[in-house]
Amino acid sequence: MAALLEVRDLATHFFTRDGVVKAVDGISFSLDPGKTLAVVGESGSGKSVTALSIMRLIQEPAGRIVDGEVYFKGDSVLAMNESQVRDLRGDRIAMIFQDPMTSLNPVFRVGRQIGESLMLHRHLSRKDAFERAIELLDMVGIPHPRDRARDYPHQFSGGMRQRAMIAMALACDPDILIADEPTTALDVTIQAQILELMSELQERTGTAIIMITHDLGIVADMADDVMVMYAGKQIEYGPADSVFYRSGHPYTWGLLDSLPRHDVDEKGTLLPITGQPPSLINVPSGCAFHPRCRYAREICPREVPASREVGEGHFAACHFAGQDGFVRGAAQAGGEVA
Amino acid sequence: MSPATRRAASALEIDEVAGSTTRTLWGDAFRRLRRNKLAIAGLVWITIVVVLTISADIWVPPLFGDPLTVRTAPGESLQAPSFTHPFGTDKLGRDVFSRVVYGARVSLTVGIIAVSISLVIGLILGALSGYYGGFIDALVMRSADVFFAFPYILFAIALIAVLGPSYRNVFIAIGILGWPSIARVFRSSILSVKENEYVDAARAMGASDLRIMFRHIMPNAVAPIIVYGTMSIGGAIITEAALSFLGMGVQPPTPSWGLMLSDAKSLMFRAPWLTIWPGFAILTTVLAFVLMGDGMRDALDVKMKD
Repeated sequence: MAALLEVRDLATHFFTRDGVVKAVDGISFSLDPGKTLAVVGESGSGKSVTALSIMRLIQEPAGRIVDGEVYFKGDSVLAMNESQVRDLRGDRIAMIFQDPMTSLNPVFRVGRQIGESLMLHRHLSRKDAFERAIELLDMVGIPHPRDRARDYPHQFSGGMRQRAMIAMALACDPDILIADEPTTALDVTIQAQILELMSELQERTGTAIIMITHDLGIVADMADDVMVMYAGKQIEYGPADSVFYRSGHPYTWGLLDSLPRHDVDEKGTLLPITGQPPSLINVPSGCAFHPRCRYAREICPREVPASREVGEGHFAACHFAGQDGFVRGAAQAGGEVA
Repeated sequence: MSPATRRAASALEIDEVAGSTTRTLWGDAFRRLRRNKLAIAGLVWITIVVVLTISADIWVPPLFGDPLTVRTAPGESLQAPSFTHPFGTDKLGRDVFSRVVYGARVSLTVGIIAVSISLVIGLILGALSGYYGGFIDALVMRSADVFFAFPYILFAIALIAVLGPSYRNVFIAIGILGWPSIARVFRSSILSVKENEYVDAARAMGASDLRIMFRHIMPNAVAPIIVYGTMSIGGAIITEAALSFLGMGVQPPTPSWGLMLSDAKSLMFRAPWLTIWPGFAILTTVLAFVLMGDGMRDALDVKMKD
């Protein structure tokens, strides 16, 4: 079966006064209907730009998709004209943004905003769209949806706004929902509620989700597949279990080691990844992660590592990935440190 | 109160304040405006002036005499204020009160029409400039700079000199000169609104440029324009007065505040009422517009919660 979304060697660069920023540089993945792909990485690793590129929302002329292919149900998204892309956006591929406080327009009633994409894509009348918006608000668990639909965004709490955003995104029953750090701006209990709501709705509607996050806890809960990004490059990609338990890249190990755990033993201090994420204008030579990598050897600054298959459908872009003895924790146990 | 009744109550309140889409926002703004005493004073004064001006034909000529009728009989000219002529008469025996009231007509008309002209030009250019940026932005903003580079009054006089001094040309000149400021204010307002995530959200929803511009950006960007526009009316009234004072504006015998001041300047000490009343009218009316604009700035600030 053809994948719902197929991304091949996607590269999006921004042309700034200071040089070319390779925000996304050679990303490939595929997404099947009803599945969840988590895109993980530090700030500035290109997660959001990947999402925006898929929807062709990169602001030209500063940024441009310079290479690669994006196929939605077999059709090339990059070859579409502006009106075809607009038909895709919000209808087939919908997006939820990070900050629910600012992603609702303050001058429109919530119900009106939710209904807007229905008026746009389904050509519903204002009244029908409003009625449908009330149903959607009910679906995302807003009490008294009929009254609440007549509220303005500032009358909603943060969690309710994110629910409203989800309702808005699901209005046209999209095939793919891209959630760009949907819970980052919310407090922890609300985060859990929102994630639960998303999983629940996914089960009901069969929508595939691309979840952009830097929270590995969320990934473990929701993802079928995981893609780890670093400096615009795809570092590791594979089924969630495989990436978590048999991860092949030192950066992924670093991410996992820097997670707080509840089953800590006496030497269970958090191990942060040292150093700073690289500037995307001066990406380190060879493997972009080598200056921060405790396993780096002399080949690392010289050659860009190719992606190797380290498990079924599980790829890691490290020179040593998959080699015997090159496993998580080797450095702590006295492995070489560059 | 249970949540349900509270919701019902607030729903009711919303319905009371207004029915349709955007009016609750304005309802809120108006409630905030009402609390600002100076702004309300301005609004009241503007209302009084407008009402006096509109109804002037009915009651001013019968009570105080026609503003244009010249009465040169002995003792008719330069009368001090009295019951028959509350503001006195000028050197041609015309009633000053009646001339001040009719002068308001000129001032308000010039103010409103001139600012409307500025708004139409300024909003379109400002919107294009802010939304599209790049070459259009540079073109519009550099043209605005050119306008700013000229001394305002001199530019107005030069325009009038070309167009010829008349009532109509005054507001054309003032209107043309006013667009750069409006365009700048609107451009910067759009630039900041454009960065909001709800604009990205609208784009991600598949909205077209026009829809984003008119439905998502404009309504959020007009507040500063309403404020600036209100204040500009005051500015336009002053400019009209200045042009008329210099003889480049409204031509005699049409009563205009600036013209009245100009006529009175040689008689300032013999008949001070000739300068005091038009001057007072200009001062209070301009002040009223400025105060109201200022009050609206606070009232329209969505972030100001009560």
